[in-house]
Amino acid sequence: MKNNWLILVTGLVIGIAALVLGAHGNPGNMGFCIACFLRDTTGALGMHGAEVVQYFRPEIVGILLGSLIAAVAAKEFKGRGGSSPIIRFILGVFVMIGALMFLGCPLRMVIRIGGGDWNALVGLAGFIVGILVGVVFLKKGFTLGRSYKQTLAEGAAFPVVYVLLFVLWLAAPALFKFSEKGPGSMHAAWGLALVAGLVVGALCQRSRMCMVGGIRNAVMFKDFGLVAGFVTIILTVLVGNLILGKFNPGFAGQPVAHSDGLWNFLGTALMGWGCVLLGGCPLRQLILAGQGESDSAVTVLGMMCGAAFCHNLKLASSADGPTGNGKIAVIVGFVVVLVISLLFTKKAEE
Amino acid sequence: MRVREKKEYVIFTFHTTAAAMATEKLCQERNIPGRLIPAPRSITADCGIAWAAPPEERERIEKEPGLPEIAGVYLREL
Repeated sequence: MKNNWLILVTGLVIGIAALVLGAHGNPGNMGFCIACFLRDTTGALGMHGAEVVQYFRPEIVGILLGSLIAAVAAKEFKGRGGSSPIIRFILGVFVMIGALMFLGCPLRMVIRIGGGDWNALVGLAGFIVGILVGVVFLKKGFTLGRSYKQTLAEGAAFPVVYVLLFVLWLAAPALFKFSEKGPGSMHAAWGLALVAGLVVGALCQRSRMCMVGGIRNAVMFKDFGLVAGFVTIILTVLVGNLILGKFNPGFAGQPVAHSDGLWNFLGTALMGWGCVLLGGCPLRQLILAGQGESDSAVTVLGMMCGAAFCHNLKLASSADGPTGNGKIAVIVGFVVVLVISLLFTKKAEE
Repeated sequence: MRVREKKEYVIFTFHTTAAAMATEKLCQERNIPGRLIPAPRSITADCGIAWAAPPEERERIEKEPGLPEIAGVYLREL
């Protein structure tokens, strides 16, 4: 285990933070979920009208800010971008559509496994298959092109604006939407959520924690360092839930989840494939956006736009299962991601 | 459990994952020793892929025609 202690510490801290946030009000098995929290924030900004998922999640603010502070301290904050931003935006949209078919990002997927939600094991299988398909294209030469140095202002714009919006949310909450029932109404105190996000964001920036990168490295290089971080999250959450009496193994009746195996599998497969092409999972995109990568900031904006589509057009699943519109959107997503994969692999071969 | 002894490598980073892959293909075709690795944390804040080779191959690789543009060269123990 060479130099892997930092990734293990990061996994342990994320697991503990997820348990603490869950115990202090966040929805079940949702101590952290980048997709759900971006979706809730999109709702708080009035970009979608689903009244049960509207809340400006301080965890996201914390992760962005924690990453920014850690990157500045380590002299790693750099304005960079220009690698096919529109394609990244589109991929971000479909990554979110896949995530909201399953009801969670890769981070929530492992937190759900630690809570005994076996639907997330089906999701994990789909996620790995999606990553493997993406790796095939990587090996054939897929690339979205190189990124270039940009100004510090360009790199800082997204995290700074996001933090300013949060300050406005604190100062003038009446400007924003708040869920009165449903998952959006369930949250830990904002200060606790913000601090948890800050710590997790800083640790993830230092450790390069990435679920997609972890599985990619394991498959391509037999390097299990990053995957070990996610295994640590599962074990921490599992032990914590057992101690707290919250471990509830099974498929049916899991919190903010459905048990349609096929569409759980396909949703995460779409998410995994899209994330490999983007070079990182939703958590990693947030971290990179925090350290000045404008391409990742555009990807996060794409995910937020995807969340708005999901709830305005009834694409997102619920505890009742997937919707017809959602199934069509996931199929369209596979076609779009395949076309992008082929187009940008062919370009590399030329 | 067998513990692998650490050795020094010269590590080349690239602007894209595809460039690292192309380097692997080119080096294999021309019998240049080395392997793809996940770019070490100490080198880059990205989660990219790098090419690691024995230090004595550095000059040869840098001058190899057809190699993708190199973003950085580092010496590290792996």
